Amino acid sequence: MLDLIEFGLFITLLIVGFFAGTIVEKRHYASIRKREGEYADVLTFAVRFPPDRVTPQRAFLVHGTVVISSDYFKTFVAGLRNLFGGRLRTYETLMERARREALLRLKHDARRQGAKLVICVRFETTTISTGWAASIEVFAFGTALIPERNSETNAALAFGARSATPA
Amino acid sequence: MKFENRAPAEGINSSNENPLIELAWLLAGSLGVIVVLVIVVSLAAQWIAPRIPYRYEAKFAATLPSFATAPNSDAGRLVQSELQELADRLAARLDMPDGMVVRVGYRDDRTVNAFATIGGQTVFFRGLLTKLENENALAMVMAHELAHLKYRHVSAALGRGVAVGVILSVVSAEVGRNAAGGVLGQAGVVTLLSFNREQERAADEAALSALHAEYGHVGGALDLFDVFARLPNQQRDPSVPAVEFLRTHPLTANRIAAIRQWAVDNDAAIDGPRRPLPPGIAALRKQ
Repeated sequence: MLDLIEFGLFITLLIVGFFAGTIVEKRHYASIRKREGEYADVLTFAVRFPPDRVTPQRAFLVHGTVVISSDYFKTFVAGLRNLFGGRLRTYETLMERARREALLRLKHDARRQGAKLVICVRFETTTISTGWAASIEVFAFGTALIPERNSETNAALAFGARSATPA
Repeated sequence: MKFENRAPAEGINSSNENPLIELAWLLAGSLGVIVVLVIVVSLAAQWIAPRIPYRYEAKFAATLPSFATAPNSDAGRLVQSELQELADRLAARLDMPDGMVVRVGYRDDRTVNAFATIGGQTVFFRGLLTKLENENALAMVMAHELAHLKYRHVSAALGRGVAVGVILSVVSAEVGRNAAGGVLGQAGVVTLLSFNREQERAADEAALSALHAEYGHVGGALDLFDVFARLPNQQRDPSVPAVEFLRTHPLTANRIAAIRQWAVDNDAAIDGPRRPLPPGIAALRKQ
């Protein structure tokens, strides 16, 4: 009898996890795509040095961080996947959303401080818990540059061109 | 060089496959693996355990509380001594393993059952004793339980239980601190509950030959199954780790047919004079 209750509880959690997780994920993706459009004018690059002819007037650190949790369903599927190996598909969407969200928050931070160019963007990931619902933190950081307004290129960067042509 | 940001690619870093399909495959695969593993390991343990010399089982049993106890009353002790006397007579006919000392316990409980357990012990419940009409029928139950001991079915069951328990705990730990372990564990336990028909049949056959040697006929076995055929629902006590007389019951009708067949094959009389129950056990029926 107790086993039956336990099993029923487990199935309930699995179903709730699946539906709630699916809805949350769909909404998150929609919000990410929408904001990626809105922040298209803040440019982010992984290069270590400013593009040629961009002479920074000011440079400072900007960052975005997000903590995101798996749901019961994703964790269960991932637990089974651990037996056989292979792509942890249920966690891939989780990580992808977390990275894109962290990058958006970085862009938000940059724009808030008047920068529209961030170079040397890096990601860090921290596992917060690995229990029945894994949670991770993704941290994006980079160097925001505000160029001098003395060249056409710099002006374009400073005033939010969609793309820059420094060379 | 032209620097630009483009919209992130969709569908490369994550998959659009329905996770339910993945779940179905993973569940089917892992349950299949576990069921196969449990079956293989339990068969292996069941094969090995009875081949471990009995003295190790006796040593282990000595660390547990004795099952061969009786109610603290003169009537209870009398019943126990009568059962023990019958057990000793039948054990002499059964060629028990070296070093096995058979001990019988008696429980003043209305459960209609008897079981054999580790360390050469059997336990009889009052509920069963009050249903029996003669010593021959009682001897059939007793000989059947002793046969389980003789063939080391109890150690086989225990070995299987331990081996499967170990696998399941490893699997649960491996799958990790989530519910997957629990679900897989359930699957293993269900697997564990099948298998005993062959052992019951072997025990029945050894019991029949002991019965025949003791009384010159196997009428007691038929009397016994007459009693069982009239019982409503067969109960068992899940707290006792034992090979029970009524468990997994190959259908009573089949067992009766098997008894008749055995009698024909072994040229044994099916009917003959019955011996009355010993006085202490007979007195239980009058209560």
